[in-house]
Amino acid sequence: MRKIKIWILYLVLSIIALIVAFPFIWLVITSLKTYPDIYHFPIIYWPSEVTWEHYGYVIRLDFLRYFLNSLVIGIGTAVLTIVIAALPSYAFGRLSFRGKRPLLLSILVCQMFPQVTFVIPFFVIFRRLGLINTHLGMMISYLPFTTPIGIWILRNFFQGIPGELEEAAMIDGCTPIQAFVRVIFPLAIPGIAAVAIYAFIFAWGELMFALSYLPSQEMQTIPAFLTLFVGQYQTRWGPLFAGSVIASLPPLIAFIFFQRQFISGLTGGAIKQ
Amino acid sequence: MWPLSESNVASYFKSLTQKPAFLFIIPYFLVLLLLIAYPLYTNFYQSFQTESGLSLENYKNLFKNPLFFKILGNTGIWVAASVGLQFVIGLGLALLLNQPLKGRAIFRGIILVLPWATPDIVAAVAWKWMYNDMYGVFNDILVRLGLINTYLPWLGQPNLAKLAVIIANVWKGFPISAMLYLAALQTVPKDLYEAGSIDGVSTWQKFRFITLPLISPFILTTVMLTVMWTINYFPLIFTMTGGGPANATDTLVTFAYRKAFRFMDFSGSAALSTFTFLVILVFAVVYTRYLLREEEK
Repeated sequence: MRKIKIWILYLVLSIIALIVAFPFIWLVITSLKTYPDIYHFPIIYWPSEVTWEHYGYVIRLDFLRYFLNSLVIGIGTAVLTIVIAALPSYAFGRLSFRGKRPLLLSILVCQMFPQVTFVIPFFVIFRRLGLINTHLGMMISYLPFTTPIGIWILRNFFQGIPGELEEAAMIDGCTPIQAFVRVIFPLAIPGIAAVAIYAFIFAWGELMFALSYLPSQEMQTIPAFLTLFVGQYQTRWGPLFAGSVIASLPPLIAFIFFQRQFISGLTGGAIKQ
Repeated sequence: MWPLSESNVASYFKSLTQKPAFLFIIPYFLVLLLLIAYPLYTNFYQSFQTESGLSLENYKNLFKNPLFFKILGNTGIWVAASVGLQFVIGLGLALLLNQPLKGRAIFRGIILVLPWATPDIVAAVAWKWMYNDMYGVFNDILVRLGLINTYLPWLGQPNLAKLAVIIANVWKGFPISAMLYLAALQTVPKDLYEAGSIDGVSTWQKFRFITLPLISPFILTTVMLTVMWTINYFPLIFTMTGGGPANATDTLVTFAYRKAFRFMDFSGSAALSTFTFLVILVFAVVYTRYLLREEEK
């Protein structure tokens, strides 16, 4: 009886996994089809011949440059987010101070602003500061969305580290800042990895700001580049899907390697009050 | 602090800077002030700006526009359906994936991570192609299963398009709900279930009387966050339908974006996004008050 139950569970989960993975599988299959296969009626599921022509096509369109642009912006956003979030999250997790509660609530409030609210103000500010068409500007524009969540996740990690550790460090003559840098920060590495991945993925896939603040082609990110293939009346599915498959690889690889830290960091961070 | 004299202020700041907490908080404070409060303030200011100075003109125009109410309704349907489905599917899958099982990590990896890690625009174009009326796999599968007789124009007909973007959004969004529910389930002490088993309680009763009451605060938080995220979620609709056909899939944020960048009506767009923020604020205030009341209990 118990065995049968387990097999039913496996069957159900397998079917669900197939349904959930299907859009992605279909994306990969389509990217390997020739145009006659893509536009075949009725549709054919398996390509009659596998082709790499769409991948070759996007790579010839300077795809590598957009890939690097996205990489620079993604890594830059992750680094800036950690640098900015580390100290406040430590204070939120560990120290008591006046105004802690309203500041903590402000993190929830930051979830409420539509991104579209920021589009024009940032445009005006960036134009004044000469940050339009720069990667630094893009990184800065993502900070209002990545830092609050980053602080929330990290705060949870710092709360889990026993307080005796920095007390011992301070007895040994460390200042609070030294105790933080030398003793506590290294222990929070899994949480830091989770925040870095969150920030990277946010920046990697972001579309609205990338379309608005990077007017020149050679600064563009992958999502903005991909929109070039989506026309109002006609879409070029082959190169679009080849580019999409490549664009999905970095976040997927990051997840495969850091899945455990990420899920524990995010879920613990988002829920504990 | 009062009366305000130079030495008073100086000693106040001195006492502040001697506390490490203050130093530690500075970076967040700067982000809050420069990158969040200031842009929001300029957006708010812009929403009152008209050719003849500051007035409520932009808001009046907004409420006079019948399209606005259509879009408000669209947003309501989009949020209610997406959040409802993500709640049911997310909680169901969290329960399934919480079962002790060999190879659970693989299932978790595919079901919880894949849709979420897929970039928004990639998810949008993948679904757009699946919904294609002639060459789309969605129609083909539904016909093969006998659920429909003829191919349907999924993104071309208003009601179908609404349904189509909601399905795609549920696919993209349910993993985060499921992850949060999974974390909530792990906070339920195992001995409660064991005690239940000894008393001969059924699986449904265990769920109803042990699991559900214990995770209900987490459910509320998750639903709340999903509501906020869904109201603000932009790239999927923007890429799949651009708000069409005939504004059937336009929500507050896609409309605000097009108002600014297609029609160059920056002040109107600012008024609309301020309105959107107020809508979310209402949810947040109700939720926060509930949280505070729960904490007092």
